[in-house]
Amino acid sequence: MGAPGTAMDSLSAALKCNIIPNQEYLLQGSVLDQYVEVLLHRLRGLCDNVDSGPESFQDHELCFTLRAANPSPTSIALPLRVRRALDVADAPWQLRYVGQQELGDKSRPTVVRSSIDMACTSTIVEFLTELGCRVDFEYTARGYMFRKGRMKITVSKIFKVGGMPNKPEGLEPISQSYLVELSVLAPSGQDAIAEDMRIFAEQLRPLVQLEKIDYKRLGN
Amino acid sequence: MQQREEKQLESALESIIQRVNDLKNSIASMIFRVENEFESINWPTFLDNFALISGQLISLSKVISHDKCPSLRNYTVLPLLLCPEKDEQLAQVTEHRVTTFSHDLVPDYLRTKLEPSAEKKMLQLEQKAAALTYENAQKQVAAYQKVIQHVWDIISKAREEWEVEAGSRGSTQQNSSVADTHLLVAAVGMGKGLKLGPNPNGQPNPTSGGMMVAPQGRPAGQGQIPPSTQAMTMNKAPSAIKTNIKSASQIHPYGR
Repeated sequence: MGAPGTAMDSLSAALKCNIIPNQEYLLQGSVLDQYVEVLLHRLRGLCDNVDSGPESFQDHELCFTLRAANPSPTSIALPLRVRRALDVADAPWQLRYVGQQELGDKSRPTVVRSSIDMACTSTIVEFLTELGCRVDFEYTARGYMFRKGRMKITVSKIFKVGGMPNKPEGLEPISQSYLVELSVLAPSGQDAIAEDMRIFAEQLRPLVQLEKIDYKRLGN
Repeated sequence: MQQREEKQLESALESIIQRVNDLKNSIASMIFRVENEFESINWPTFLDNFALISGQLISLSKVISHDKCPSLRNYTVLPLLLCPEKDEQLAQVTEHRVTTFSHDLVPDYLRTKLEPSAEKKMLQLEQKAAALTYENAQKQVAAYQKVIQHVWDIISKAREEWEVEAGSRGSTQQNSSVADTHLLVAAVGMGKGLKLGPNPNGQPNPTSGGMMVAPQGRPAGQGQIPPSTQAMTMNKAPSAIKTNIKSASQIHPYGR
C-alpha cells in the first residue's frame, strides 16, 4: 500500500496549490468518416491556426492502472496514461493522470475532471511497471489538432493496437467515425471558460454534437 | 420652502451625476474593448454591452423625468468669469478633458440650443410638415405602411423557406452517430473493446501480464520503441488472445 499512498499524497499536494492548470473542461463527440473533411474545413475557418493549417498527430497511448496489493471491492485503481508521439521521433513522452469526471447539473456546460500531465522519457514504462502498474489497454490515435484561444480541439481516429496481424502496420480502426474532443486545461475555479466552450460547440452543430458524456452510463 | 427645494435639487443632481458616471464608465469600457480586444470580442458580448448602455440611458432619463426631480430647465447656469489660464482644479474635476475655462470652450459646454445650421434645418422640416394637408399625410402614411408590409412579407417568406430547408436537412443528413460517439468515448476513456486482458468469463487473462512485461524486456536506454517493433510484439501474442478479443466483443456489442 505504500507506493499508491505516496503517489496519491503528492497528487493531492499538487492539487492544493492552485496555480497549476489541473482541471480539464471536456466535451466529446464524433463525426462519421465521410464527413470528417467538412468538419476539418469548418474547424480551419473557426480556429486560430488558420495560416499554418491543422497540426497532424499520431500518438500511441498506454493506459496503466495501479491496484492495491490486496484488492477489495472498495479500493479504486489509480489510472495513469502514457502517451508518445509516433510521428515525431524526439518528442518527450507524456505521463498523465485523469481523475473522476464531474458532470454537475444541467447549468454546467462541460464535464470537469482533474488532470495532471508531465513530460517524461521513455523509461517511464519501466518505472511504472516496477511500481506495480499494469497495462490496462492501449490504442493509437491519428488525427488533427486545432487551437482556439485556450481551447484545444482534436479530431482523431482511434485504432486498436495489434488488432489486425495480417496488416503490416497492425492497425484496426475501432469504428467508422472520428472522435472529436474539445478541451481546456485551467486552474480550478475558472468556470467561465466552460461557457466559451459551449458557444464554440454550438458552432459545430449539427456536424458534430459535442456533449457531456457520462462514462458511468456507457457501461463497462 | 426654499431649503426643501434646494435639498431636492441637490439629491437629484447627485443621482444624475451617479448615473452619468455609470454611463461614462460603461462607454469607456466598451471603447476599451473595441480598441484592445477587437480580435477576440464576439458579437453577443458586444450586444450585451450595448444593452447595458441603453439600460443606463433609460434609467438616467427616468431620474430626470421623476416627479421629485426639480425641472432643471428652470435653472440658469451663468458663466461669471472666463479665463484663458490653465485651471488645475477644473482639469482635475473633468479628468483632464477641460483644462481652461476660456471663451472658445465655454459656449460649447454651456450650449442649450442646437447648432444654428441644425436649428435652421429643423425649422425647415417643421414648416414643411406643418404645410402638409391632412389627406396628403394620410396618403403618405398608407404608402409607407404598404412598403413596410411588403418588405416584411419578403423576409417572413425567406425565413419560412430557410426553416423548412434546415429542418429537412437536419432529419435526412446524419453527420455523426451517437452509437459511435459512445463507442469511441468508452474505448478511449475506459478501454472498452481495447482491453487485452479479460476473456469472456470475466477472469483476467494470464497472458495479459506477458503483454505488459514486453516493454520491460527491452534493454534500458534503448529509447523509443519503433512502431514496427511494437506491432511485432503484439503479433507474437498467442493466437488464443485474438479469439478471446473476438468473442469478448461479441458479448459486449458496441452499439449498446
